[in-house]
Amino acid sequence: MNGHPLLEARDVTVRFGGLTAVDGVSAAFAPGELAGIIGPNGAGKTTFFNALSGVVMPTSGELFAQGQRLTGAAPHRFAQQGVARTFQTPRVFAELSVSANINFGLQFAGRHRAASWLLKDETSILNLIGLVDQAALPAAAITPSQQRLLEIGMALATRPKLLLLDEVAAGLTESEVEAMAQLIRRLRDELDLTVIWIEHAVTTLLKHVERVIVLHQGKKIADGTPAEVVRNAEVIEAYLGDEMAEAA
Amino acid sequence: MKPTHRDLLVLFALAGWAAALPHYASEFVVSMALTCLMYATLSSSWGLFCGSTRYLSLATSAFFGIGAYTSALALEQMPWLAAIGLGAAIAAAVAVVMGAAVLHLRGTYFAVLTFGMTELIRHAITYWEKQVTGTVGRVLMVVPERDTIYLTLLGLAVLAVLTSIAVRRSRFGLAMAGIGADEQRAQTLGVNTRLVKIAGFALIAAFAGAVGAAMSVRWTYIDPHTVFNPFIGFQTVLIALIGGAATLWGPLIAAVVFSVLAETLRLQAPQIYMMSLGLLLILCVLYLPGGLASLRAQTLRQWGDDIRGGWRNLFSRKAKEAL
Repeated sequence: MNGHPLLEARDVTVRFGGLTAVDGVSAAFAPGELAGIIGPNGAGKTTFFNALSGVVMPTSGELFAQGQRLTGAAPHRFAQQGVARTFQTPRVFAELSVSANINFGLQFAGRHRAASWLLKDETSILNLIGLVDQAALPAAAITPSQQRLLEIGMALATRPKLLLLDEVAAGLTESEVEAMAQLIRRLRDELDLTVIWIEHAVTTLLKHVERVIVLHQGKKIADGTPAEVVRNAEVIEAYLGDEMAEAA
Repeated sequence: MKPTHRDLLVLFALAGWAAALPHYASEFVVSMALTCLMYATLSSSWGLFCGSTRYLSLATSAFFGIGAYTSALALEQMPWLAAIGLGAAIAAAVAVVMGAAVLHLRGTYFAVLTFGMTELIRHAITYWEKQVTGTVGRVLMVVPERDTIYLTLLGLAVLAVLTSIAVRRSRFGLAMAGIGADEQRAQTLGVNTRLVKIAGFALIAAFAGAVGAAMSVRWTYIDPHTVFNPFIGFQTVLIALIGGAATLWGPLIAAVVFSVLAETLRLQAPQIYMMSLGLLLILCVLYLPGGLASLRAQTLRQWGDDIRGGWRNLFSRKAKEAL
């Protein structure tokens, strides 16, 4: 390690016309962190992710991956620097088979990157996400919750250092959510990945992450451990309500 | 047998047969075969980029015209194949500039802009001819034999299909397919989409330029109006779509159908020719979205059942009304 954070946003602002979706957010993520981002609808969570992965260019502010400036770079440069992401609505290649979907990342961003044996090839990634039996099916034919897993598999195929997960637990049953959380924890523990996880279901997220960033109307209003954040007066007023604070 | 081996075998069998054609066929058939080879090359290569990435380019006639003008000007100074290569190179260079300017646009905007740029190039060359050379149009003095032109076009068609086979198996082909399916997703998985699109666009422009360079000598007289004729671009798109732009053999099959139709109907009944082309396109878009190449015995049987079922419903309804 060269002492730089894995990914750093400095005062990132994203404006769409008159609307400020992300307003001067700064955050740095260290190797091996498991962090969550929460906030009410329209708080700018996904837009912040889009900025972190190069999909949206910040109106102002800077982005660095391991000290290297990536502000304004195309998304493939972020992928090459080890930043991978999933999308809120799974965006798998519907006509390709499940294993061809995994292969895509291996062929591009993951091609020349050193990989743990867990990400060695298509089969090992399919094993990791539990889709071995679906390998030959077209991605359009598997269930929505399997498509979410495939999204994660596609991102893992780029052999990333940092994984941005956008509402991967949305629409899953309770037991599926639990399995997803186990998978995410395993990715962090065994692959030493930094994971940043957006989730609308706050309780699920707070249970599993070690650090939470709270966004509200595009601004960062809190950043700390789950226990600290749920006691934060501003967060309670803006978002959580009193009952959450009592529950925690 | 692997599919690639089968494709190669079919290709070489067809090419062998086509190479023997000028020795026994009539002048009419050879002329038809030339049109066929021209459109087979244009639409196969068009489909390679536009079919997989779903960027609909109407600029084929621009690259064709650039190739035609290049060989018209260069043939007096250099050998035949060098002139063809130069035509391809200049067309590809123009495509790189054009692509850098418009390939960030999608859908209709991209299609309309490529068409607009084609018109711009055509008018610019007309203007230049009027101002600088004082004449619009050129008579070609140095013209190779018919068989040379024929074999060159055959070679280009074979090269286009070979390129298509090779690219489909490569990372470059995978990247283009990813762009066609979901461009942003492909980017986040590490594809340098800008580079891939410009390279693909330049590749198909090179083919159009080479075909233009080889065809110009067939006409012995060229002017911007003939070689930059937007109709060349439209027909390329039509043929590729009718045949199945994303498939390997579709554009080739459709090019054969099209040239037979063109040569047999155009002289006797030009309206019927255009109408049958339009009808074929409508039928393909409605009932065969994958193009002629996706046609299988299964599809025909399905249609048969649908039609029979439709009649049966119609009759049973009539019978009920009669009661």
